[in-house]
Amino acid sequence: MKLRFDDEVEAFRAEFLAWLDVNRPTPEEIAADPPISSAYVPEWSRSFTKRMFDDGWLVPGWPPERGGRNAGPIETLVYLEELNKADIPRTTNPQGLGIIAPSLLDFGTPEQIEQYAMPLLRGETSACLGMSEPDAGSDLANLKTRAVRDGDNYVINGQKVWTSGANFADFCFLFCRTDPDAPKHKGISIILMPMDTPGVTVRPLKEIVSPEHPDLNEVFLDDVILPASNLVGDENNGWAMANGSLAHERSMVWLMGVMGMESSMRELLDTAPARLEALPEAEQAIVADDIAGLYVDTVASRCLGYRGFARYVKTGSAPEQALMKVYSTEIRQDLARVAAELAGPDSLLTSTVRHGSVGSLEAYFTTFGSTISAGSSEIQRNIIAERVLGLPRS
Amino acid sequence: MDLELSDDQFDLRDNIRSVLEGACQPALVRSIYDGGGSADALWTQMVELYWPALGVAEDAGGLGLGFVELGLLAEELGRVAAPGPLLAVVSQFIPVLTEAGAEDELAAAAAGESVGALALAENGRWDLDAVDATATEANGGWRVSGTKAAVLAGAHADRFAVVARTDSGIGAWLVDAANSAVTITDVIDPGLGLADVAFEDAPATLLLAPGPATTEALTRVIEQATVAMALHTVGACRRIFEVTLEYAKVREQYDKVIGSFQALKHRFADMFLAVERANAVGYYAALAIAEDDEARAEAVNVAKAAAGDCQKLVAEDGLQLHGGIGFTWENDLHFLLKRAKAGEVLCGGRTHHRAQLAGRLGLLGASA
Repeated sequence: MKLRFDDEVEAFRAEFLAWLDVNRPTPEEIAADPPISSAYVPEWSRSFTKRMFDDGWLVPGWPPERGGRNAGPIETLVYLEELNKADIPRTTNPQGLGIIAPSLLDFGTPEQIEQYAMPLLRGETSACLGMSEPDAGSDLANLKTRAVRDGDNYVINGQKVWTSGANFADFCFLFCRTDPDAPKHKGISIILMPMDTPGVTVRPLKEIVSPEHPDLNEVFLDDVILPASNLVGDENNGWAMANGSLAHERSMVWLMGVMGMESSMRELLDTAPARLEALPEAEQAIVADDIAGLYVDTVASRCLGYRGFARYVKTGSAPEQALMKVYSTEIRQDLARVAAELAGPDSLLTSTVRHGSVGSLEAYFTTFGSTISAGSSEIQRNIIAERVLGLPRS
Repeated sequence: MDLELSDDQFDLRDNIRSVLEGACQPALVRSIYDGGGSADALWTQMVELYWPALGVAEDAGGLGLGFVELGLLAEELGRVAAPGPLLAVVSQFIPVLTEAGAEDELAAAAAGESVGALALAENGRWDLDAVDATATEANGGWRVSGTKAAVLAGAHADRFAVVARTDSGIGAWLVDAANSAVTITDVIDPGLGLADVAFEDAPATLLLAPGPATTEALTRVIEQATVAMALHTVGACRRIFEVTLEYAKVREQYDKVIGSFQALKHRFADMFLAVERANAVGYYAALAIAEDDEARAEAVNVAKAAAGDCQKLVAEDGLQLHGGIGFTWENDLHFLLKRAKAGEVLCGGRTHHRAQLAGRLGLLGASA
């Protein structure tokens, strides 16, 4: 155990900071054209992604031809820390960079990698993940969208929902059922679907905040015809590939949850003393206790996340994975709620009149996106109980 | 930054655990709860294994391990609700002697020849501001007067490190137990040997002379005592969690094991998180102490507050999910429940440590 990183790691950090200093997008650039949907790539992000790719800072752990520099996991960790501290989104298309591109690199054909993965990595295109359906949210294996082989093509019919960024994406990493007779997990395939293919209809879903910038969508598929060469990997092997590809980013996702929580806590601590001063003493003590409790959570989440990461690096698995999903998302929700309570009536202001997220009820509502998506907190608790603690399935 | 135990540390933990599983079985703990039992043989075995010497520097006759290793020991002692003075000796008494550079006393304590306890708390508080006991110098010697509450292992000790006040500040003195009035307090966990100790003009030897350096030294001692108590509590909680989980895998209702019910699964997931959370910040704080990091004071508050959160959830759910059987004297669960609860109270509870933390974060006017 030690509290500080080794000198080589700190040298790596310094190298990245020096690069970032020259190449970073300015806060003004980001604010002027913010990432309004998870597949919308603003102009500053396109060029920043390209620079990161060219200089090996896009995914430091990958080889140079794929936008990296063969860095180790600890180096990647401090790289993410610095991006977070600088408040710079690493990507404006997290599914594309985090899941779809690495899955294609693992399972795609050379043509698919050239045509789909590399443009994603260079920031030229963006992609969405077509998994959830009306009857297949948490119960993902229940998906019903059908892809029927017809000569050299697939004919696809069905509906996706909660598809983040479908309204801006260039293509979709589409999960379809190719064998309706196989057991639920066995008959699923992944097909690459350009969003401008005839028969694809995207209907954005307005959310409870920022309705002018929808991110979630319904995607309707009516006799969509795609060449069989768009099949990723083997037919009916989509479930196994999905598990492999989701694992790609999972370790980093919990760390980014931790870092996000630390940013929220820093913001809260910056604004809290002045707000508290205006309150009667008895109220100060109660609010201070709430914040202190959340501070314990913030430190604990860092300790758990970093310890879990160390275990993951050493053994390839850590029970912290599911724990951290529940914990980091729920604590961020608590943080946002307490910040809004502290802000009082100011918390009611909408983002059209206020800037930033501190103490805003809109920010609080937004946090439900994380406790619901990517396996709700309830599903995560089942996973912990069954897979980590060995309790039987009901 | 590496918050995972090293292989050596894991080995040490496993070694301590296997010894305690043999030497400190529930039957021994029960014999002390029922009266008539003794922890003497356990203590002798611990001394033979050099456990009191674990954190003492090698040139002072110890094993020279760090505070993280002491944390491992504290956690494992909590896991079996160990009776006897070891926790007090290693996490309270020896740290004072170390700060004082009291070589002879330290060697005796490390060798298990003496059993010491820290007499600090007054008015229900474990901080220096709460100290009313006084020390006075007369004829080249010292006398200590005052009453200390809830002295851990006070019933087992043959000497006390007493924190007291003079006109020039707070200091620490060594007093023979033979010269102090000890009232063994009947508490819910008799294994702790908690005692009120009254000193009335008791002859004393100076350990730490009053002054700013001593205030800092005693603050470090309190930090060590607090983190050790936090990890001790986590150890008791982890065992409560484990036995409750084992029970839920075999206890059947409505023709199903109760652990298959989702309502219970979610509670187990939350308990597991509470234990891991408190464990992780406990060792973070231990590491901050071991490395004398600038974040140590804050980390101590975080660790003890998290241990308190853990105790509240795990002890309550552990008892509730056992159902009626967990409510009986015959079931061993209550040793752990009582140890965990005592651990939450001793060295300051979660409310106290959250208030201190709020002060450090600039949320409250002054550090509580």
